[in-house]
Amino acid sequence: MNEKDIIICRCEEVSYEDIVHLTELYQCSSREIKLRTRAAMGYCGGRTCRNLVDQIVSEIKNEPPADNIPLTYRPPVRPIPFRLFGGE
Amino acid sequence: MASLRIKEHPILTVDQHVPEIQFEFNGKIYTAREGDTIASALLLNGIRTLRVHEETASPRGIYCNIGHCFECRVTVNETAEKRACLTPLEDGMVIHSGQRLPTPFKKGEE
Amino acid sequence: MNQLVIVGAGPAGLSAAIAAAKNGVNVTVIDEFMKPGGRLLGQLHEESNGIWWNGVDEATNLFNEAIEFHIQFQFETSVHHVKKHSNHWDIQTDKGMFKSQALLVATGAAEHSIPLPGWTLPGVMSIGAAQVMANVHHVKPGHHGIIIGINVLSIAIARELKLAGVQLESIVLPSCNLLNKEASQPGVVFQKLAKLAHLAPSPLFKMGGFLTNKLSFLEKLVVRSFPKNGLKAWGIPIQIRRAVIEILGEEKVEGVKVADITPSGVIMKGTEKIIDVDFVCIAGGLYPLTELIGVTACPFKFIPSLGGHVPVHNEQMQTPVEKLYVAGNITGIESAKVAKAQGKVAGLSVAHDLHYLQDHNAIDDAVQHVKKMRDHALIQFHPDINKGRNELNGASITN
Ligand SMILES: Cc1cc2nc3c(=O)[nH]c(=O)nc-3n(C[C@H](O)[C@H](O)[C@H](O)COP(=O)(O)OP(=O)(O)OC[C@H]3O[C@@H](n4cnc5c(N)ncnc54)[C@H](O)[C@@H]3O)c2cc1C
Repeated sequence: MNEKDIIICRCEEVSYEDIVHLTELYQCSSREIKLRTRAAMGYCGGRTCRNLVDQIVSEIKNEPPADNIPLTYRPPVRPIPFRLFGGE
Repeated sequence: MASLRIKEHPILTVDQHVPEIQFEFNGKIYTAREGDTIASALLLNGIRTLRVHEETASPRGIYCNIGHCFECRVTVNETAEKRACLTPLEDGMVIHSGQRLPTPFKKGEE
Repeated sequence: MNQLVIVGAGPAGLSAAIAAAKNGVNVTVIDEFMKPGGRLLGQLHEESNGIWWNGVDEATNLFNEAIEFHIQFQFETSVHHVKKHSNHWDIQTDKGMFKSQALLVATGAAEHSIPLPGWTLPGVMSIGAAQVMANVHHVKPGHHGIIIGINVLSIAIARELKLAGVQLESIVLPSCNLLNKEASQPGVVFQKLAKLAHLAPSPLFKMGGFLTNKLSFLEKLVVRSFPKNGLKAWGIPIQIRRAVIEILGEEKVEGVKVADITPSGVIMKGTEKIIDVDFVCIAGGLYPLTELIGVTACPFKFIPSLGGHVPVHNEQMQTPVEKLYVAGNITGIESAKVAKAQGKVAGLSVAHDLHYLQDHNAIDDAVQHVKKMRDHALIQFHPDINKGRNELNGASITN
């Protein structure tokens, strides 16, 4: 199986290979991986892949998940239509 | 091929007499019925691709069907980025699928 | 200003609204779906007495009761931010701002995904998507499909799809990578199902239950000699020794490439073959949808048996943040009946904290009812749920 072909973040099209490679290279946190690759930071707000990124990083670094959330949630948790910025 | 509409069900009540409505998708007219979402109406009409990825143009369709994944976003009567799975179909609705953006929009190093 | 705003009109949100409104609290419920019920809609389970438990009917009953108590509903409205002020909450939505003294977040669960080559193709959907398409909108997800991921939810929904007249090839495992170490190993998957054995009426579960009660090496034997064509549950083959390697298609799903696997999930070379399907369901399990709690000051606890990160809260459904409550699957993955029972507790707690509650035993009784529902649940998502709940209660005391 070609792991390069597995997309993890559907919104930003970040691959499994990219995430594994960068985690091994930088030995960094999943927060940093998300900021570097934009995985879990696309249109859907990370609902589909946030856990996947956390999981890959914690497997590679052999660190169990902590109680606090790796990349804190920021508002808006749903994209806001542009008209709402205009002020009604 | 047989319709994907479920016409009878051993446990659930399936109403047979729901009024039909028409809508437009990417310039073509289709028929579905009241109570459908845009997502169910398109699937019923054999349409699986609701948009293409803005950068790579890879085709995308319904994924979660409950508003979480935003894969099914379409333009409805001029309003962009509506989730097809959360939007009830209305008679005469004009729907467009998302398109690939012109290259200057593309992010990244290239 | 509202006294209570509830985000989520699932079983938890609806029953909380009713409990609070019955005691005189004025309540508004916000949901982005177009009708009430949340994920209750779509559920269809056969109880041990042979009677069908129909989520659509359950949702209708709850909604009708809510209307009687003059609860306000805002459907097709997405909440994107909540903010605490000294004595009220701002709840920001795509339809404008709501203000409320108390806030209950009952946003339920979301599905884990299982990334595989080809999974972005149209026609690949989560198992829940297929459930909602068939049971709520009465449209089949496709003509002939395959389910990837063997777990309680996928087996239950496979049966629902069969009832709706959908043709299913089989339920199989995903191929192994860092993301599905456990979900791709026949041995581990079998053991998990076996632990939940006494709860489900399928032949597979029964056999699993028998074996776990005896010897665990027998279990390994079962997995090793598991028939390649699978064991059937309600006529649907469950192929614990087969995995999907790739989803195939140009513009949409046309097929899947599968292979046989060893009991520990390693692909057996030379067994690859292609199966034609026009849809694929991915069943990766559920996790609590906590994003709105994540923008508040409420702490989290990571408890795998509850589905991952859950907001810290006590048995009364209060969080450490004043006038912030949680109920339902956001507090841990359990069946709809548990969510409904938790909702009642939360609604009563709000009524109490806003000085409306007359009957002071009501909360204790409702808390006991949650435990009873938990012990009698038709579907259990994790065998260690009680342990997880106790751990969380401990955390809420120290916090
Ligand atoms: C796809 C899926 C299938 C399931 N199938 C089963 C099953 O077959 N059997 C079973 O026992 N359990 C099943 N469950 C578990 C299910 O979560 C519980 O049974 C129960 O429905 C939980 O109730 P709840 O009230 O906590 O949340 P839900 O019923 O999920 O309701 C939450 C509501 O909140 C709304 N919401 C969420 N975020 C926002 C926001 N930001 N703004 C506005 N509205 C929002 C949602 O639209 C939803 O209507 C399933 C869960 C999922 C996700």
